[in-house]
Amino acid sequence: MAWSTSNISAAMVSNFFAPAAALTYTGDTINVALYNNSVTPNKNDTFANNAYAAGTWAGNEISQAGQWATGGVALASKTNTFGAGTAQIGAANTASGNNATLTAVFGCLVYDNTLAAKNAFCWNYFGGSQSVTAGTFTVVWSGSGILQFTIT
Amino acid sequence: MPAVLLNGSRHWECPNCPAVYVTAVAEPHIPFHECPGLRGILAPYVEAGTRCKVEAVDREDYEGSELGLRTDRDGRPVMSVVTTRDDGQDCAVFPAAASAQQEG
Repeated sequence: MAWSTSNISAAMVSNFFAPAAALTYTGDTINVALYNNSVTPNKNDTFANNAYAAGTWAGNEISQAGQWATGGVALASKTNTFGAGTAQIGAANTASGNNATLTAVFGCLVYDNTLAAKNAFCWNYFGGSQSVTAGTFTVVWSGSGILQFTIT
Repeated sequence: MPAVLLNGSRHWECPNCPAVYVTAVAEPHIPFHECPGLRGILAPYVEAGTRCKVEAVDREDYEGSELGLRTDRDGRPVMSVVTTRDDGQDCAVFPAAASAQQEG
């Protein structure tokens, strides 16, 4: 299978009501790990499997030491806001070092790197294959945030 | 001998429009602007004097229900902007927000 959309896992939402893990966006270290197109993101997979190095996220990571290291780059300037029927989390743009060579990057997993289980908040699809050569790879987060809940 | 203080500022420009910018940030970074010369999309500056081209790359997959995709002035979804230099290539990607909806 392959990437087709950005999404969250239903099990992550369920965790709000019966916390098996204390996902803490603003207080914990939240990492962004990059993946190729061989993963199969599944919104119906378990909380344990939608985590870094678990389920479909075990393998197929794209990284380069000192640039976009294995395990990913930590988010900076994180925000957690709500209003006008939405709740969203965001952050400053996330960038590699300035000498990165990364090939066929299709999306990323945003996960809690402070937790031992490294459970994910969400995954974000880049819309196609992305590459960088001896340069800087930057994820420019949407104006709608990294993850948004909409109540209509 | 008087001390010389270096402020570490970096000067940026855009090859597609007259915009210029100055930063004084130590961490790796690239500033962005909405570029009138590049279909109005969010585009990176390049360091002043850099020989390069900066191009928008349209989204390759269906837009579907993706939330918050960045688009050009005609509403076409753009998935990335690629800066091609003589000695390499930078890439800025524009993912959608992961989203969920609760209907009342």
